[in-house]
Amino acid sequence: MYRVDITADLNDEDETGYLWTFLDEARDPGQITPGALVVAGDEDTAAVCQVVDLAPAGDGTIVHLRLLPGLVDDYRQLVERALAS
Amino acid sequence: MAGGRIEQRLRLRAEPPLSEAAVLVRGGPDTQDKLARHARRTARAWSLDGQPLLGISVFAVLDIPLDELLSARFATYRMIHMPAAAWLRDRGFELLPTGLRPHYTVRLRRADSIELDELLAALGPPVANVQYARSTIWREEGRDVPRRHHRRSQ
Repeated sequence: MYRVDITADLNDEDETGYLWTFLDEARDPGQITPGALVVAGDEDTAAVCQVVDLAPAGDGTIVHLRLLPGLVDDYRQLVERALAS
Repeated sequence: MAGGRIEQRLRLRAEPPLSEAAVLVRGGPDTQDKLARHARRTARAWSLDGQPLLGISVFAVLDIPLDELLSARFATYRMIHMPAAAWLRDRGFELLPTGLRPHYTVRLRRADSIELDELLAALGPPVANVQYARSTIWREEGRDVPRRHHRRSQ
C-alpha cells in the first residue's frame, strides 16, 4: 500500500515519451516542481519519478514525469544505507 | 493555467494498423473503477476530432522483445495484462497510435459500466510480470525522445 505524492496511471505516456498526469492530483502541488523527485502511481503500484516540466492542458496543468528505474523499496534501502551510522 | 485539450488526430503516428496477433501490455491489475478514472483523465487532457478522448494506455510488443519492454517500462508492476490486439478489436475497441511508438490508446466511447466491463474482459486476466523488480532504463532524452518534444520548464 503506497502513499503517493501524485496520483497517476503509470501506463500513461504522451508524445514527449514521458509519463503524465494532472498537477491537481498531487497531495501537495507545491512539491511538484521541475527536477523534484516524487512517488507517483496509486495505492497498489508506485514508482519514483522525476518531475520534468509542467504544461497547460485541458482544464488544468499536466505534469511530465521521468520514470526512474527500480522499486520504491530500492530507494528506501538506498537511503537507509546512506544514512546508516 | 489551462490550455484546452490536446487534439490527437494530427498527432497520431502514421503506421499500419497493428496485426490481430500483436501482443499488448498494460500494467495492472485493473478494475472497473481504475479504468474509469484513467479514461476520464485522458478525456480531460486529450481530444479526438474535437471531442474528449476517453481512453487508456497500452504498449505493443514491437521492435523490442517482450522481456525488454517489461523490464524497461513495467518493472514496478507485479501483475500485467497481455491481451492480443484482436481481443480488443473484437469487442469494438479502437487502438489509436498515440504518443511515441509502441504506445497506443484504447479508445472507449462512453466509459459506462457496460463498456468498462467489456474492456476489463478484453484485457484478459492479470498475469505475473516475470520482469517485476528487474528494471532497466526506459526512454532517454536525446536517444529515444526527440529533443523537440521537450518543453522548457515552467
